[in-house]
Amino acid sequence: MEYLQHNLERLRSRCPALVMAVRESAGNVLTVTPSREGAPSATYQGQWVHSAYDPRTEARSWAEQQVGEWKRGELGVVLGVGLLYHIEALAQVNPDHCRLAVVVPDPSVLKDALGARPLGPWLNTIIWVMGTAQEMAEQLASHATPLRFFTYGPAARVHAEEHQRLEASLRRIVAAQAGGRLHVAVVGPIYGGSLPIARYAVRALGELGHRVTYIDHSVHHASYQAFDSYRDERSRLTVQSRFADVLSLSTMATIAEDPPDLVLAIAQAPLSLAVLQHLQKKKFLTAMWFVENFRHLTYWQQLAAGYEYWFVIQQTECIDALKRAGATEVHYLPMAADPVVHRPITLTADEQQEYGADVSFVGAGYANRRRLLPQWLSKEWSFKLWGNEWDGAADLSSVLQRNGARIDTDTCMKVFNATAINLNLHSSSGMGLDAHPDFVNPRTFELAACGAFQLVDERTLLSDLFSSEEMVCFRSPDEVPSLIQTWLKDSAGRRAYAEAAQRRVLREHTYRHRMQDLLAAVGLHQPDRIGSILRGERSATALQRRTDSATELSPLLSRFPPGQRVELKDLAADIQARAPGRELSREELLVLMLDSYRAETRDLL
Amino acid sequence: MTQRVLVIQLARLGDLVQTIPAITALKKSHPDWELDLLCPVQLSVLGRLLPGISEVVNWDGAAWHRRAASAEAEVRPEHLAEAGAGIRAISEDLYDRACVLNQHPRAFIAGALLARESVGAVSGKPLSHKLSPWAEYIRSVAISNRSHRVHLADVFCGMCGLSPPNDIIPIHVPTTVLPTDLEPIGQSNGDWIGLLVGAGDQERLVPIGVWERLIAECLEIRPASRIVLIGDQHEQERAQRIQEALSPLLLGRVWDTTGRLSLVQLASLLARCRFVIGTDTGPLHLAAAVGTRVIGWYFARARVHETGPYGPNHWVWQAETREMDRMAAIKPARWPIAETIALLGDGAAASVEDWSLWRSYRDDLGAYYVESEHEPIEPCERAQIWRQLQPLSVS
Repeated sequence: MEYLQHNLERLRSRCPALVMAVRESAGNVLTVTPSREGAPSATYQGQWVHSAYDPRTEARSWAEQQVGEWKRGELGVVLGVGLLYHIEALAQVNPDHCRLAVVVPDPSVLKDALGARPLGPWLNTIIWVMGTAQEMAEQLASHATPLRFFTYGPAARVHAEEHQRLEASLRRIVAAQAGGRLHVAVVGPIYGGSLPIARYAVRALGELGHRVTYIDHSVHHASYQAFDSYRDERSRLTVQSRFADVLSLSTMATIAEDPPDLVLAIAQAPLSLAVLQHLQKKKFLTAMWFVENFRHLTYWQQLAAGYEYWFVIQQTECIDALKRAGATEVHYLPMAADPVVHRPITLTADEQQEYGADVSFVGAGYANRRRLLPQWLSKEWSFKLWGNEWDGAADLSSVLQRNGARIDTDTCMKVFNATAINLNLHSSSGMGLDAHPDFVNPRTFELAACGAFQLVDERTLLSDLFSSEEMVCFRSPDEVPSLIQTWLKDSAGRRAYAEAAQRRVLREHTYRHRMQDLLAAVGLHQPDRIGSILRGERSATALQRRTDSATELSPLLSRFPPGQRVELKDLAADIQARAPGRELSREELLVLMLDSYRAETRDLL
Repeated sequence: MTQRVLVIQLARLGDLVQTIPAITALKKSHPDWELDLLCPVQLSVLGRLLPGISEVVNWDGAAWHRRAASAEAEVRPEHLAEAGAGIRAISEDLYDRACVLNQHPRAFIAGALLARESVGAVSGKPLSHKLSPWAEYIRSVAISNRSHRVHLADVFCGMCGLSPPNDIIPIHVPTTVLPTDLEPIGQSNGDWIGLLVGAGDQERLVPIGVWERLIAECLEIRPASRIVLIGDQHEQERAQRIQEALSPLLLGRVWDTTGRLSLVQLASLLARCRFVIGTDTGPLHLAAAVGTRVIGWYFARARVHETGPYGPNHWVWQAETREMDRMAAIKPARWPIAETIALLGDGAAASVEDWSLWRSYRDDLGAYYVESEHEPIEPCERAQIWRQLQPLSVS
């Protein structure tokens, strides 16, 4: 009690709100226990938050590991309160007197910390961040400086969910503020369901004003397919695997010719671990948007450590599995729609006749669909089934359109628009509804973006994306016929749901939103690289502002248009382009010398 | 008039040693010039031993890497100030002239930053991309991989606008103490043979089993001989594996020095050996430069006429290949083991399938090599090349 009063007194004049919140909190979140060395340590739910032997030494060692990354001008943000040993240590080794903020999701933990031991004057140098996730994000963003996060794991786990919410809020704020122009290389797959996603991502990044290099491997699809003709499966797999390796090298060659700020691979992109490791060694930032069900496609296990950032469409279980496999940064990034493609269409009468029905389903013939769809046929409504891989589904042959041919995106959109009730049943290798119904498929967003009404099987992650006023779900196959009956009769209700869902998609779930979110997440973790570009700090104007006009750098910068990104390599390229036939200044030569060393470390080939 | 001249050699140990003829030629041609040498900081201690050099100035590549990493994302005035200070630390005043011997842009830029004018690998402005005729010659040889007859060390002379000097003074190695247990090397009785166990490139590594056979047979045939294993700390494991493969009875006659010597100690050790055997590496050239006879095994992409050991009386076994395979690195299927041991005793040189044997000579156009058993007649191509690239140097 004595320590608490003493420490609160120290904080009172600078942080009265914090002092009041701590006083009013219950405390007793942590169990404070003496360490072997004598200083108090603590446990949370039976696990140590600080060292049981020597918390001070452990904290010092942690802080020394962190400071290498901490750049001048960045606001350090600590996640994890504990007994503040690690924050004290970080404040003491603080390079260049950077400011340090501590996120306090629950004042009770801070009460335990302040009551455990006497704390020094450093306490008053800390920026304490409190409130809801959104409020804390706004407080941090208001500092208008790059943020450098330091997560002290043992203490941060006490508030893991709050930290995730804080990061999500911050990502939204950063995404909204982002103005700089990145160069992103998007690596697409050879074929498959992720191919259109790659194209949507490319378009979205372009619309956001970034420069995009699309490494489109679908042009190699015919060659890849040609290897299917081998009768021996081992030969086929070997040749296709070698072919993918060649494409992986070609990706690297493309990247080498015009180095991007970020390499964004979309699921199934042919990038081998060896190439990814080489890219990492050369300090290229790599990210993978794994738009797959991690339980079905497991190649992520081999590539986990190869990408610096993973973005996945599933949450906890998937994120934990990737981290166990060696991934360092894994973020949830759900699917989306592209309003350029997925949009309401006015159909002609003939089109309405051809594509329309009371009930439709578009998709491939997975086992659970073959089992469930026949149960949803009825004489009370017309039903059309579109898509391929339905061979042998005799009880669906009467409703199967175009003899089970693959249908293109255009046709898909017409079906969605022409149908009263679109069924959206997530695929599963089982016989019923998906046994692990977590992620939300692209079809959900696409139907919504078209302004089409859908009945979708319940997903655990759906309620975060759509409200119950925007989406109608079924929890069991038996509910579907009665839902069809109900909604067929209620065209106004269908329209209200469809329009609400469409508004939600356009507001929050387009690929533009996803790409903004993805870049903001990378930017938050790379405040001095991607982050500063997104903040527009690398533009010629911003650099000029920070450069004294009297210095020799100023005329070099003045050659660039105001909004253009200017880095060392850009300055060097400009000098080299103008070099023939003139004397170079000393400053120009120095830039070229620095760039020759940069190129040695960064150039890929 | 006295001029301050900076010789820029930023490459590796072998290239630094090959610079000796150019420095000697410069000094002989302009005795009043003050010649400084700019070389990588880790080689500067050796640079100070080169005859004719007034001062060695350090090029700190690691510091430049740090500066580049710091300026990569955002170039600020302080980055240029720090880089400028790095240049000023080399010399406050501009040199009158820089002799740039490397073809790397950073050597050209260093020349432009440190001297009023540059000669050597590039003609004109540092970024004109116009190589001097001698640099062009070296590049064309490297690209076509054709054999040529002017040694790299003599090309360096040509780049400086000079003919090779008449005499080459061996590096004088100052009295140097080796670690106590290695001190008897070359001092006590015996025929001390240095063996370079490693190589900078993987493709130039001689298999461990081959070295083991050479050592075992040499020690058996030449009872008074001792083998000195030479290499840096990265080659300690190879040396260890060679010794593990040898009969324990021979180990008292094998001296492992790998990873234990400074550059000056290495030079001293090489000077203490009667012969040094190895592939085309920096220490092989250093051995030749301190006056020790060497036997080189040249394979992979090493060519005797371009980078053979400089000076008279060295031997080189050159792995041969068919004309159509010239662009590929040669991987020998057999090795001249017994034949090399025969050379140690100045015995008759036997022929080895897929290898040719060359002996080194020197004259007023520099180094040349003559195939064993042939008359030492200088190759006519060499004079033609000098005539073409530097007419005034050939009478």
